[in-house]
Amino acid sequence: MLKKGDIVLIGIIGVAIVISSVFVLQYKRVDNGTHKIAVIKVKDKVVKSIDLSSVTEPQRIEISGEYNQVVLVENGRIRFLEAECPDKVCVNTGWLSDKGDMAVCIPNSTMIKIEGQSSKVDIVTH
Amino acid sequence: MEKTVFIKRTNGETDMGKNFLTLIVVLATVCLSACSVSENTPYKNFEAEPYENTDFAMGTVINQRIYADNAEEISRKVMERIRQIEDDMTINKPGGEINRLNDSAGTDFVKVSEDTLYVLEKAKKFSEISNGAFDVTIGPLVKEWGISTDKPAVPSMERLQNLMSLVNYRDITIDREESKAKLEKKGQLIDLGGIAKGFAADEAIEIYREHNIRSAFINIGGNIALLGGKPDGSPWKVGIRNPRGPEGSYIGIISAKDKAIVSSGDYQRYFIKDGTKYHHIIDPKTGYPADSGLIGTTIIADLSVDADALSTATFVLGLEKGMELIEKIEGVEAVFITKDKKVYATEGLAGSFKFEDDSKGYEYVKKR
Repeated sequence: MLKKGDIVLIGIIGVAIVISSVFVLQYKRVDNGTHKIAVIKVKDKVVKSIDLSSVTEPQRIEISGEYNQVVLVENGRIRFLEAECPDKVCVNTGWLSDKGDMAVCIPNSTMIKIEGQSSKVDIVTH
Repeated sequence: MEKTVFIKRTNGETDMGKNFLTLIVVLATVCLSACSVSENTPYKNFEAEPYENTDFAMGTVINQRIYADNAEEISRKVMERIRQIEDDMTINKPGGEINRLNDSAGTDFVKVSEDTLYVLEKAKKFSEISNGAFDVTIGPLVKEWGISTDKPAVPSMERLQNLMSLVNYRDITIDREESKAKLEKKGQLIDLGGIAKGFAADEAIEIYREHNIRSAFINIGGNIALLGGKPDGSPWKVGIRNPRGPEGSYIGIISAKDKAIVSSGDYQRYFIKDGTKYHHIIDPKTGYPADSGLIGTTIIADLSVDADALSTATFVLGLEKGMELIEKIEGVEAVFITKDKKVYATEGLAGSFKFEDDSKGYEYVKKR
């Protein structure tokens, strides 16, 4: 037979479980959010941060430096469009659209990264 | 009646009191155990957000992910260490020990640091076991091709033949006692581009360890070194680059802890002249970019310096000889990708390599 005290105890534990679950789920949901934030960095300083999900019109962003570069942003994706650097690795990387995607220009020390992590891998070899 | 009720009530009260005591004990135990768990488990920052840092050095991108409270400070220490290694070992800017060693080729010994001695010894060792497929005296050929420069060009065969006579790892003399080294012939050039980044990645892991970090990784231009596993104790998932796909695309996933993973490929640096692609991994035996039938090699080893040298060596050797070499070395595994888009993995990877090719362009060949 359950006594009053037992019921109180079960009640408290139950409430504790519900509260902690809510927090855990909340935390997970933030991580799995659909908002894709792209950041443009020059020498590891963020110069621009864009929510790709809220882009409506294609947009050109010019980066001046040792080599000038142009970044193109569209809804849900971003890329280096033009670059004056010799190797064009950044332009050849193409569109970035998933979390964790990254394009880098080594000669100019610039990069575009979509924040967050790919769900399947932590890192990819080069 | 009243008495009975009273007794009942008393009983009820004592039970309540007991239960209340139990509740306090339970809560206290849970609380204490929770505290002690967070104090003692190796995965202290289980829920913590990782610290990520991207920086540029050694002519490439360096990415660190660290789980620790003072991660930013540690990442700075790592970058300082890497820049120091770069200054000692680079040939792409003036100064440093390797430049001095090259300048004194054919004349004198040059005093070098413990770092440089170690890397030169490693380089010679891998040259020997790969029968010269990996050779850090490749410098004169790399310079002639100029693949990493603004003006790459295809040299004449005659010119390459002449320069090839300068490529020979046996001409590096190392005097450990006196901490000095020498190149035998004038014109010889050591280029540590195929091994220095691997060494730097090992040194980064060493710094993480010194700071009691249990979960971190560093990626120096594709030289990936893992410390521990993820904070929850599971292994890191490392994608193996699809050599014909964009950066970040992969053909399979390796699950690993405390390992170094390095890829080499014809896609990393190259130039195209008259419709022919010339990549940056020069075969010391032909003077031309290696044409062994492989387009990508990935080595999994305990040390990044080993994986770095072996990924280049096997890329030059090709599938059969490359496999033979890897199978000879204890604790080293490999994934090879051939020109006809077949993927081969060593037997030791059976449990940790998962073929996963979203591009649907590759075929996984389990048995050779």
